[in-house]
Amino acid sequence: MPVKNDFDVIIIGGGITGAGTARDCAMRGLKVLLIERHDIATGATGRNHGLLHSGARYAVKDSESAEECIRENKILRSIASNCVEDTGGLFITLPEDEDAGFGLDYQKTFIEACQKAGIDAKAISPSEAREMEPSVNPSLIGAVVVPDGSVDPFRLCSANVTDAAMHGAKVLVYTQFLDFIREGDTILGVKVLDTRTGQEAEYRAPVTVNAAGIWGHGVAEKAGVHIGMYPAKGALLVFGHRVNNVVINRCRKSADGDILVPGDSVTVIGTTSTKVPFEECDNMEVTPEEVSLLLREGCALCPALASTRILRAYAGVRPLVADDSDPTGRSISRGIVCLDHESRDGVKGLVSITGGKLMTYRLMAELATDAVCRKLGVNQVCTTAETPLPGSVDGRIETVSKRFEGKVSLGQKGAAGRQGDLVGKINFTTAEDKKLVCECENVTLAEIKYAVAELGVRTLEDLRRRTRVGMGTCQGTLCIRKAAKALAIALGDPSLEGKLAADYLDERWKGMRAVGWGDTLREMEFMQRVYKFQKPYSYDEI
Amino acid sequence: MQEKNISANNFEQCQKCSLCETVCPVMANNPDYGGPKRSGPDGERYRLKNGIFFDDSLKYCLNCKRCEVACPSGVRIADLIQQARIDFNKKSPKLRDMMLASTDQMGPLASTFAPIVNFSLGLGPVKSVLDATIGIDRHRTMPKYASKTFVHWFKKNAAAAQDGFKKHISYFHGCYANYNYPQLAKDFVAVMNAFGYGVHLMDGERCCGVAKIANGMIPAATRDAKINMGAFRKSIAEGRDIVTVSTTCTMTLLEEYPELLKVDNDDVKNHVSLVEQFLYKAIASGEVKPVWKEGWKARAAYHCPCHQERLGLGIFTTELLKMIPGMELTELESNCCGIAGTYGFKKENYAVSQKIGKPLFDDIKAAAPEFVACECETCKWQIEMSTGVPVKNPVSILAEALDLEKTSELNRP
Amino acid sequence: MRFDVVIIGGGLAGMTAATELQRSGLRCAVVAEGLSLNNVSRKEFKAAGGTLLQGDKVTGGVIKDGRLLCVNTQKLGDVVLEADSFILATGKYFSRGLVADMDKVYEPLFGLDVDYDPDRSTWFDRSFAAPQKFLEFGVNTQDGAALKDGEPIVNLYPVGEVLKGISSAGSDASRAILDSAEAAVQAIKGRN
Repeated sequence: MPVKNDFDVIIIGGGITGAGTARDCAMRGLKVLLIERHDIATGATGRNHGLLHSGARYAVKDSESAEECIRENKILRSIASNCVEDTGGLFITLPEDEDAGFGLDYQKTFIEACQKAGIDAKAISPSEAREMEPSVNPSLIGAVVVPDGSVDPFRLCSANVTDAAMHGAKVLVYTQFLDFIREGDTILGVKVLDTRTGQEAEYRAPVTVNAAGIWGHGVAEKAGVHIGMYPAKGALLVFGHRVNNVVINRCRKSADGDILVPGDSVTVIGTTSTKVPFEECDNMEVTPEEVSLLLREGCALCPALASTRILRAYAGVRPLVADDSDPTGRSISRGIVCLDHESRDGVKGLVSITGGKLMTYRLMAELATDAVCRKLGVNQVCTTAETPLPGSVDGRIETVSKRFEGKVSLGQKGAAGRQGDLVGKINFTTAEDKKLVCECENVTLAEIKYAVAELGVRTLEDLRRRTRVGMGTCQGTLCIRKAAKALAIALGDPSLEGKLAADYLDERWKGMRAVGWGDTLREMEFMQRVYKFQKPYSYDEI
Repeated sequence: MQEKNISANNFEQCQKCSLCETVCPVMANNPDYGGPKRSGPDGERYRLKNGIFFDDSLKYCLNCKRCEVACPSGVRIADLIQQARIDFNKKSPKLRDMMLASTDQMGPLASTFAPIVNFSLGLGPVKSVLDATIGIDRHRTMPKYASKTFVHWFKKNAAAAQDGFKKHISYFHGCYANYNYPQLAKDFVAVMNAFGYGVHLMDGERCCGVAKIANGMIPAATRDAKINMGAFRKSIAEGRDIVTVSTTCTMTLLEEYPELLKVDNDDVKNHVSLVEQFLYKAIASGEVKPVWKEGWKARAAYHCPCHQERLGLGIFTTELLKMIPGMELTELESNCCGIAGTYGFKKENYAVSQKIGKPLFDDIKAAAPEFVACECETCKWQIEMSTGVPVKNPVSILAEALDLEKTSELNRP
Repeated sequence: MRFDVVIIGGGLAGMTAATELQRSGLRCAVVAEGLSLNNVSRKEFKAAGGTLLQGDKVTGGVIKDGRLLCVNTQKLGDVVLEADSFILATGKYFSRGLVADMDKVYEPLFGLDVDYDPDRSTWFDRSFAAPQKFLEFGVNTQDGAALKDGEPIVNLYPVGEVLKGISSAGSDASRAILDSAEAAVQAIKGRN
């Protein structure tokens, strides 16, 4: 078994926390290895709202989280302009909220708490709210404007990984953590399995960071330490198009299905919160009850949802952590948990970073990297809050798309929106490259080639996370074959085409099954026909 | 709880089956056009996100509506495209487009000077000048302007007699019949009178606005639409339903007003009929009785114009024509002729326009009918110019085939 | 407007039956909302003298004493299509021959009896490639005639994918579709 000990730090987990930590460590001059058993952003990172919290949601109950959120909100707007959309947000009060004790008096409390946390919250009249966001429930009795936005978590995670790699980090995806290499009470490194080749390997570093989200529970167990984690499943629904352009929240105590976020070409409603067993975390199915609940609550925010097509349903698991100080494990913290297992459990060389939320990933990474540096005796300050991510140096679609010569095609505009200022790396020279593979989301063959060459794509799911291929109305019905072929060729093995397509179809199918009625069911029948019986159109030409 | 998945303008019911692309006449002939699916429902999702995704190629859509007829999901694809052009295309219309579009303003001028206009429009050098300066293709035979408008003729020769009938209708003649082809309108009056209907014009009738919509002159089109709806309401209140002859005007009045111009016509809709629909129903129900000319014979081919296809009322025309004893009618495969109103007149569209029409022209030549039966005025220009086969409006065919005198005796109260 | 046979739906099953009936001398009208994925040429039907209402849509009909008397369409307004026999060839969900809600599947035009499982969790297999139960759902018939509330509508013949057990996403599907169309053609010819 090859043994390699060339790293200062090994980070387990390619979600946003691991990616952010890898970036921070690499920027502070450390030699970094990031391992991820699937692709980046496959866990909770890729399965949430994509809400750029202003912090207002936490202002009344948890001022610390609120303050963290608004600080990070401002930072992300400046360092991740290509991943963030400044939609603004509304907290609305409905007549039924009044009856439940969350009427306009509560709105006052809410605004005060926001302002105390540094969140710019302002009450507006119901008619101003309707004008600002025409899809909002017209029976609202009050509204507060806050600086919410939307953030594309795939893009954000990918940009962090890219930047880490640009600073020398080694990134191994499809590399599963098996166990720690341990000597006495010291962690020396990790044993891993390359899930594609079946080969095992060992990597050594003086410090290992457990950033595996809810799976971090199992990772910690391997080191013989216990983190009291609480897997909280959250289900969400994706609607077929942007129904709203402003984030809509309910101005009341946080509850299920009370956030509606416009992101890219769709709108997302969420979420629920249910404790699930650890065994289920790898395969979340959204239940009919969750779908009904989300629809009911969604319609309260935006009545048009009652008649809007649902594309799919999905669920993620929040890595919540029980408070160490509470022996019953009932008291759950939503804050950031950074554990040095040496001081906590007497296990040297291991740091766990968990809890927190997408919004505060950068801060979590900073805290984890500080801990790593302390252990290594490195004295470097964090610069991630000031340094723009790749693609976001000048990342707005309006500026980026001006860089093309001549008439800018929809595929080029789509790529500019997704890849930001890195779009110049995409080679649009031939007419072939300019052709759209995914017509719903304006993805060209050129962008696919770029993603394979530069962004570590191995499967169609990976490609989807980098380019939105197959995420549109037809859920890939028209483009899976074309994309699979292009990907197989780009990967250098055309025989992979069938397998790539089949895996992707099963994944799409999963999300559609949960909402399989109405027009979604029509699309499902169409999908079945296209792939099982006949091909009405030629999929051979790319 | 959710019963069906329908958004307000139902674009998201699009299943991406792409059947619309198989019937789009432009897509097949112009590689710069993305086609109805991409320009319509696909584009709409991204335009909702950011107006930067409006694509200039939407101008190539000729609004034939064949995509809507082909769509198994009821998506108003062409409307989505027109709406996007209205919402995002901020370029002001060219002089040429304004000239072509302002049928009721250019019409009166041209009629007054009809001999000169017709003479000069038919002349090579003048057409070259039009070609070079304002972009009207020189291969085009411009529609001739009549020297006396229909309205002028009607007021002088027919208006007085109309009150003598027992039943009455209002006639929306449209610009074409008024300025370019008064004979069609005269035939209409003759046929309606023979069946016992008094024909009345509506004060203040304006152009339906289709050309203005196509050329981006939305405020002007909306103003006209409101005036027209006012005139219709007045007529209905006075007990006269409205009968139309032009399929394109009718589609605009019934479908585009509420969808694109946001001019409500709900209360008016059920009082507007195409003449073929009106007469078929009247004859089928026994309300009126036709007397056909002895020995009248014709071999015709029916071409269903795009906007009739969209209205879905072509069956009334064919069933009505089949009632004529001497009529041997074949139905042509449904294809666009390529003119699409003012579209084919523009220099940039001429070649594409002729390419689009080719399958239809070939079909007509193969069928070799004595004439083509077709309700649409612009199809008539295009087909006659491109095939040399005469095109007759069904109303004119009726005027020929009916024994007008006997019909009028039989239907006299 | 009166015809011998009105065919609702212009896909493979509908056009095949319509063309054969028209050629046998019966006056047929096909109401076809949109084009069909089964891209059968409609040219032959028109060449045989059939009436095609392309882009129109049947919205309902009048059923009396176990017979369908006439159907209404979206475009023809108060003019109805009358016929001795009707063929229902509206297909499955995609063409809206069947409509699925969260908890039920129904036939939208006449409220015919539909065979389906009310438990939606059974409709799909987890594997995309496996047979899918929802594609087996469809209307029930008795001797080829549609059933409504358990009673036959004797002159309404469902054919093709609107029938239970027939789906074009299955193997040998076109055979089953064409067989059902042929059976209806024979039944209608036998009546006339």
